[in-house]
Amino acid sequence: MNFKKFFELAKLNGIEAADIEETRNKSLSISMFKGEIVLYSVSVDKNFTARGIYNGKMGFVSVENDDKTTPSYIINTIKEAASLSESNDEAIIFKGSPKYKKKNIYNEELAKFTPEDAIEKLHEIENKLYAKSNKIKNVELGFDLSDDTSILANSYGLNLKTKSNLYYFYAEIVVSEKENETKAAFDLFFDNDLSKFNVDEFVDKLVEKGLSKLGGEPIQSGKYKVVLKENCVASLLASAISNANSESIQKHSSVFEGKLNTKVFSNKITVEERPLEKNLFYTYFDDEGVATTNKKIIDKGVLKTFFYNLATAKKDGVQTTGNARERGSKMGIGFTNIYLKPGKLSEEQLFEKIKNGIYITSLTGLHAGLNPVSGDFSLQAEGFHIKNGKLDKPLTLFTLSGNLFNVFNDVIALANNSKLLSSSINCVSMAVKNLKISAE
Amino acid sequence: MISKKLAAEVINVASQTGADFVEIFAENTFSSYLEVENGKVEETRNTNISGVGLRLLKGTQSVYGSTGDISRKSLLQLAKELSASFKGERQINEVTSFTLKKHKNFNKPFTPLTSIPKSEVVTLLKDINKILSDYDPRIVKSTTAMIIKTNDNEIFNSKGLMFKNFREYGRFIIESVAQENGKIETRFDGPAAQGGWEFFTKTLDLKALATEHAKKVILMLQAKEAPSGKFPVIIGNGWGGVIFHEACGHQLEATSVAKGLSVFSGKLGEQIANPIVSAYDDPTIPNEWGSFNVDDEGNVPVKHELIKNGILTSYLIDDFNGRRMNEPGNGASRRESYKYEPTSRMSNTYIAPGKSTPEEIIKNTKLALYAVSFGGGSVNPATGEFNFGCSEAYIVKDGKITEPVRGATLVGNARDILMHIDMVGNDLALGQGMCGSSSGSIPVNVGQPTIRVDEIVVGGRGGSIYEF
Repeated sequence: MNFKKFFELAKLNGIEAADIEETRNKSLSISMFKGEIVLYSVSVDKNFTARGIYNGKMGFVSVENDDKTTPSYIINTIKEAASLSESNDEAIIFKGSPKYKKKNIYNEELAKFTPEDAIEKLHEIENKLYAKSNKIKNVELGFDLSDDTSILANSYGLNLKTKSNLYYFYAEIVVSEKENETKAAFDLFFDNDLSKFNVDEFVDKLVEKGLSKLGGEPIQSGKYKVVLKENCVASLLASAISNANSESIQKHSSVFEGKLNTKVFSNKITVEERPLEKNLFYTYFDDEGVATTNKKIIDKGVLKTFFYNLATAKKDGVQTTGNARERGSKMGIGFTNIYLKPGKLSEEQLFEKIKNGIYITSLTGLHAGLNPVSGDFSLQAEGFHIKNGKLDKPLTLFTLSGNLFNVFNDVIALANNSKLLSSSINCVSMAVKNLKISAE
Repeated sequence: MISKKLAAEVINVASQTGADFVEIFAENTFSSYLEVENGKVEETRNTNISGVGLRLLKGTQSVYGSTGDISRKSLLQLAKELSASFKGERQINEVTSFTLKKHKNFNKPFTPLTSIPKSEVVTLLKDINKILSDYDPRIVKSTTAMIIKTNDNEIFNSKGLMFKNFREYGRFIIESVAQENGKIETRFDGPAAQGGWEFFTKTLDLKALATEHAKKVILMLQAKEAPSGKFPVIIGNGWGGVIFHEACGHQLEATSVAKGLSVFSGKLGEQIANPIVSAYDDPTIPNEWGSFNVDDEGNVPVKHELIKNGILTSYLIDDFNGRRMNEPGNGASRRESYKYEPTSRMSNTYIAPGKSTPEEIIKNTKLALYAVSFGGGSVNPATGEFNFGCSEAYIVKDGKITEPVRGATLVGNARDILMHIDMVGNDLALGQGMCGSSSGSIPVNVGQPTIRVDEIVVGGRGGSIYEF
């Protein structure tokens, strides 16, 4: 679509200001089962999301269809949506930040990687997995490659571009030793640099993860000290800090309301948002076109800022923090590249520190078992006993329950095993006092 | 969307290297979301999804491609790229024309939601919203919203068949946040159907539902924490059926059964549930949220008896996974959109009604948790381990409902949980939700009468149930 013509047509139709984002995605997915390619999928997507101010109100639309009717469809839909709106939010199309810190994160080498190369790698992973142990009954594995470009432009002349690519190798193994005990383990590796993927390391780690789950013992219900593995900490942390969403605060739906510059977590907790960190999740402008900045969200337990977009910032009389998210609908709030400041101990030293307790390696059922607003959670969990400061037997099915805000207040210590997860959270393992375990 | 001539051309290019079956799924979907928050229209969102999915099968191999660019050039390029995955000679004849296969419409006629002026929808949203806001000042945020989605798709395949399908979905969202002394409680209700405007204005009593919603969010704000441990649980009707959806339904989908990856692979004819349990998956129920007139591969849907008196009687099979099982698809193939390869999925899945009244079940229970509202769940079909979250519950003591308790997650293993259902009520009801799996997020109904499970692990934040 010719953006210049689109903005002219919008103006002719009474739209005072507008923006439009065009995103293009090309992706490849391959999955393998017992040496066969069971899924080979390619996709080419294009999408337009646009916003416009009509009679002082904002209207939105998201459309994939791209033909000569598209510009007028977008304009009419924006006008209809704006006419229905009764929102008090000020309608703002952003003129532009003084400076943008644009970096190139696109990997040209990855773009040359062929499906045949990926299939060869998958065969190698599968063969090595089956060869490791006869307790491995099934393996499902795959490769995903994604190539994304986007352009955000507006009627004030703003024109911002991004280009990125990324690959994933993933595998799930099903392990069993005796009847009625089947366990599964999943792992994924993602990056945009292929030289960083080491098949043997990936295979060894996954096999160890799977086999270590066999021979589980039941655990007694009760309160325990726990060490949460970094992926579990990340899930809980993402929900906890989503309460710093300024819109939720303004709508009285967050426990952080009125808590700015007060202590909300243990002083061992420091959390930063680093959108400008040059990694796979690097983002130099938000969905309104505002330049992003790195900032502290929680400093030694004290809440330092809320996440703002232009409209919510205006309401509180502050500057936006560049956290606008969600094109194609009313602008929401989001964050990327969250860093939980690591502690000094290794994970093994955390086990020694709590002496007896539970090591939680996986939490499942977050969409139904965790209420990010109240902070209450009760989740299906997997893990191991910690006895006399060392990892002991795996545990059969149990639940872990508590409250997010209590978890980040009841911190015993943080580990130093910082890891960037696919949720764009850089996290470490954490030892916590008293969490409720429910089982047999 | 695309012409028959182009469809034939694309299929013939795609089949030239040895594919034994080729299928085109062309789609144009519009959805609108209209939201009233604390009495004001806060958001109107319109989304269009439009494109083509192309699938090539060769034995148990599948290649799939999708594109939003439906020009001849783009589709032929996609066909060529996908056909390069196979290195053989043409196995099937070129298609020259398509026969349009007509199918039965299971739905009763209704007034399309898209024909209702938006202003009328706004009036309804505001009326219901006001019920929430007026109920209690502790309800600090009240949201009502209407989702209207029309899905128009056409399927062409290398057998020279063509299918046309049009569905209109509607969902009414009621959501609230209540707050008191720093304690926050949220609640969600989302009745939905393919029943047009009449469903929301005649079949449903939205005003009564909103009043009940408001009453419950305040009640739960004051409730104690649910107990934890392993003990009997009475699971309420309707949305309580999420237990069967997670603990059994997913394990009966050919997606995992065909590869031997389900705990129920190879168990046809075996007893997997208590003999008082029978269960169905029925995509033919008129106007229901999970129903369809033709599945996403063009097969005719049928009512599936999954379990009869505890014995496993059927799986849910799509054509492709059926190849591994040496069985044809049985009309259970679904996908979110053209971006997803279709696979076997549930539709309206429920445990059949039994003989007990819900009152009898409660009366015959000494000590249990009575779980009434649910947030959803998940399962790994390979291990059978499942969970589902319950947001509203009560304690049943000596045959009587005593006090309300706040949320808990229930966990178990599919291998044995259905054997532990020891009472089945006569009050079957369905509840609407979205189910996420390998072919995307699709509308489904879960359902059941009130049932009792003699023991299951409950992960509440409170103490032992004996302390109540």
